[in-house]
Order: sequence, then structure tokens, then C-alpha cells
Amino acid sequence: MIRFENVDVVYPGGFPGLKKVDLNIEAGEFVVIVGLSGAGKSTLIRTINGLVPYTSGTLTVGDEVVDPSSRRQLRRLRSRVGMIFQSFNLVSRISVLSNVLVGRSSQTSSWRSLLGWYRAADKEIAFQSLERVGIVEKAYNRASALSGGQQQRVAIARVLAQDPEVILADEPVASLDPPTAHQVLQDLRRINRELGITTIVNLHHLDMARRYADRVIGMRGGEVVFDGPVEAATDAAIEGVYQRSLTAEDVAPDAPVSVDEALGAEDGPEEGPEVEGGGSAASPAERAGR
Amino acid sequence: MSVTVTAPPSAPGGPPASGGADRPEKPRPSVTGYLGLAAVVVLLILFFLATSSSTLVLDIGVGRVPLYPALGALALVAVLVLGWRTRTGTLPILGALAVIGVTWWGGSGIGFTLSPLWEDLHRAEPVLQGFLNPNWAFIWRVSDAWLVTLAMAVVATTVGCCIGLLLAMLASPVSSPNTGVSQFVKALNSVIRSIPDIGYGLLFVAMLGGTAGGAGPMAGVLALVMFNIGIIAKLTGETIDAVDRGPLEAADASGANLLQRDRVAVVPQILPGYLSYSLYVFELNIRASVVLGIVGAGGIGSIISVQLSRFAYENISAIMIALVVVVLAVDFLSLTIRRRLT
Repeated sequence: MIRFENVDVVYPGGFPGLKKVDLNIEAGEFVVIVGLSGAGKSTLIRTINGLVPYTSGTLTVGDEVVDPSSRRQLRRLRSRVGMIFQSFNLVSRISVLSNVLVGRSSQTSSWRSLLGWYRAADKEIAFQSLERVGIVEKAYNRASALSGGQQQRVAIARVLAQDPEVILADEPVASLDPPTAHQVLQDLRRINRELGITTIVNLHHLDMARRYADRVIGMRGGEVVFDGPVEAATDAAIEGVYQRSLTAEDVAPDAPVSVDEALGAEDGPEEGPEVEGGGSAASPAERAGR
Repeated sequence: MSVTVTAPPSAPGGPPASGGADRPEKPRPSVTGYLGLAAVVVLLILFFLATSSSTLVLDIGVGRVPLYPALGALALVAVLVLGWRTRTGTLPILGALAVIGVTWWGGSGIGFTLSPLWEDLHRAEPVLQGFLNPNWAFIWRVSDAWLVTLAMAVVATTVGCCIGLLLAMLASPVSSPNTGVSQFVKALNSVIRSIPDIGYGLLFVAMLGGTAGGAGPMAGVLALVMFNIGIIAKLTGETIDAVDRGPLEAADASGANLLQRDRVAVVPQILPGYLSYSLYVFELNIRASVVLGIVGAGGIGSIISVQLSRFAYENISAIMIALVVVVLAVDFLSLTIRRRLT
């Protein structure tokens, strides 16, 4: 589905964003990219839809080689590849429905966009997308009147309205509180399963990566340093990616999975430090044995 | 030197008496810096004395000093002393001294003085007589001209603001197709803005013929349109520069083209500001169309021009009062509408 072959990204200032990345992501996979700030997670994701142009190598999405210099081809590519952002990037002054209809832009003629006169079929798609994330009743509210979690769901609906083959999510839950973050990730995971959309997510928190990913990719200094199924992403492996031992910060939000579960599982917060002290996936068992 | 002597008593007397001893004190500005400022003050006073053309002299008991240089010197010294007492850095004080110096120079250059206000008052008597006895009936006799003025303002606002929005979108690097277009339109906007409304008025009256030729209002509308394009393109362009880029990135990422991106991500963000500027421009147009009328562009301004040449100050007075009422009404209306634009 998405194939990186020896892809380099060098930013205009000469700063290397990606170094010799080789990756092959299959259709329908749910991939989570982990790594410290500045490791190249965002660059990797933005290279896929051409928001960041790659400077050498070959990047293939579907059966097409991405050509960052062709605006027309990029627009066609982006119509198939939806993107979700950390700060939601909604137009706050217009309605939720209008925001979702932005996702229909590539299938709408310019004059219809200009007049704001969308086809009934496009509106139907927008409504269905809102139904899928469960906020269809907010369709005619102003986007700014919604909570953070609801706004991110509008952003997901906007992407769904594109009917994409791939969803890219750049730190989608970094500005949400942990319970809301889990709900948004659950939505993404469910959409990935139900519609078979290849999904690539950047995450800061290891526990969330482990909970939702099929496959984990670790990045450091613009290079892919770990790539394997979620079972292989042990604490030791991730410490290798981070090049330091894990801290409570990395795993803390494990506790409140949802409001209900958090109330039930009071021992959640205690688990964090334990994992940190153990330094490997087997640590809880080891501790129990001692 | 006397300045440095006055400062120390204030320092120990101030902060330690009122607060704790360990609180940080505002750092004292450098003495050498203030000595430099004092030198600047001396130089400026010498400059005042050298360039003063006034013969007015002030008797201060011990001697006689030229009045205007003395006033300038007083302001300079006051700023210097105040700056030292409040422990202000040297740079802001240098700025203040520069403002005083330049203003004094400007005032002396045009021989600025308020004395004609009372010395030549007798000349204003017939004018004041006329203004104090407005001819109320005249307001209604020229109602046609009022309508023309209003119509000019409305048409010019609509046309000017539409063109202005287009140029603003092309000028801002955020919404324009490429940097070449953006730079070119920006330069064009600067040229349009550099000619004042009265300049456009004279230009179009000369081209189309003024009130006498029957094309007065048309020339006036064209002049106002150019004037409005300049203002709207400038203000809206700056608003576009400052929009949140997030939604633009999202529109890009969903495969929208430039026109769609501008429509869905830029226009909703700038709309309240743009409408507010348009109402402001409408107010400006009411006022500007009066001035344009005086140079021959029709409307109430041409009536003023005619009455002025007849010395019919009671008629002009009536028009002025009505004008104030109209402008206030438009102000109030646009303020009410603008408050609802959030």
C-alpha cells in the first residue's frame, strides 16, 4: 500500500528530516509510530501525502509514485489520503457540517465550493461520516462550540468524507485528556477495522501505542530503528528506540482507559512506576516472583 | 551634575521603608548613559537657540530669555529628570528627547503659534455670525444633493470593497497563487494607496468633467472606489496574513485546490474583520464625498463649494450641522452592526 524505498528528506535549511527510510505498509494495517520529539515521526507522516516533499528515494502510495513537484498529482493523492492533526485544524467559525464538507473538496467543482452549494449526495456522505463518529446531532453547531474530543471527531468525520484509502494521524490525541484520547483512538481503531482503511498514527505514549497498534515503528534521528508487531515492542525494545530507560511519563496514561474502567481499576497508577523500575516487559512477573 | 546629586536621597528613602529589605530593587541606569543624554539636551538647546526665528522674549527676573527655545529646553530637562528619578533606561529617554526635538523643529519651521487665534479674531466675526445663525430651511432645499452623496457612498463602498477583497486575497502570500503574484499585487496596492482621495477626485473630474459637465457624481464614485480599494486591500490583506494556518493545512491535505482552500479556510476566518472594515469605509465615504464635492465631484460638497463662493455662511452652517448628524447616525449604525460581528 505504502512503500518507502531509501527515502531521504532534507529540509530547506539543510536539516535532515528522514535518512534512508525503507518501509512497507500493507493495506488495512494499523501502524503506530513512536519516538521522542524531533525523531522524524511528523516528517514521515507528512511525506506520505506530500505536505513535506521527499528529496531522494522512491515513495509509492497505492500504485502511484508520489511526485512532490506535481500539484495536480499531489491533489489527487491527497484526495485518497486523509489527515488528522494534533490541533484539529477546524475552521472554528463555521458549522460542523461545513467543516466536514471540506473533505469533499476534491470531488466538488470549484464553483460549487465558491457558492457553498454542495450536491445532496456530498451532504449525505458528510452526514454518514458524522454518524460514524457519533456526533451527527451537532451538525449545525459551530465547530468552536464543541469540546476538544468532539472537535477531533469532527476532524475524523472530515477525513471519512474523503472516502480515503489511508488515514494519517499526526499526534491526534496530544491535546486531549487521557479518557478522551482513548475514545478518539478507539474510534480510529474501529474505523480501521470496519472500513479496512490503512491507518498510520504518531503517538507519544507507549501504552496507547501498545493498546491499539497492529505494528509499531520506532524512530530516532530520522531513521527507523524499530519495526515489528506490537508483541515485539517490549520495554527493552522501546528503551532501545528512546536510548534511555522508560519513565512514568511514557506509560502513565495507562490508568484511565475510559471513565468507567478508571473508576474500577484503582491500581492503574501504581503499575506505571513498576514497569519503569523493571525495565523489561517481564518485570511485573519478576517482581511477583521475588 | 546637579541631576546626579538629586537622585541618591530618593533611592534609600523609597523601597526599603515600605517593603522588605531583601526585595530586588529596580536597577539604576548607567550614569555615563545619562551624562550622554545631558550632552544631547545641551546640543538640542543650542540648536533651538540657533534656529529660533521668533523675537518673543520672556523676562524671568534675573534676565531675559527667548520664549520658544526656553519652552523647548524646559521640556527636555523635565524629561531627563523624570527619567532619572524613575530609573528608566537611556534608550526610551533618548527617544523622548528626539520626539521633543523634532516636534520643536517642525513647529518653528512653520512658525507655529496660537496668537492669531485671539489677535485676528475680529476678522472671523461675519463668519461666526453666519455660523451661529444657521439657515435651517436650506437643509431641505438641497435634499437632492444629500441623496446623491449617500448614493455615491453606497455604490463606491460596494464596488470598492469587492475589488479590495480580491486584491487582498491576491496580495497575501497566504492566499495568493504564488509569490510573484503576491509581490506584484502588493506593489500595485501600495501605488493605489499612495494617491489621496482628493487626488483621485481631481484626476477623475478632469477626465470625465465635473458637476458642470454633468458627470460629477460619476467622477466622485470612481475616486471613492480607488480610495476604498486602497484601504480595504491593506486592512484585509493584513488580516489574511494573520489567519490560523491549521485549517489551510487541513484543506490542502484533503486535496482542495487553491480557490477551494481560500473559500473554505480563509474567507470564514476573515469575514467578520472584512465586514467591519467595509462599514468603516462606508463612514469614510460619507465624509470623503463632501470633500470630493468641493473639487467638483457632485453631491453635498458641490453645494458647499457654491455657498462658500457666495459667502453664505448661514447656509454652510446648516449643511455642516446636518452633516455632523448624518455622520454620527452612520457611525452609530455601523457600530451597532459591527458589535454583532464576532
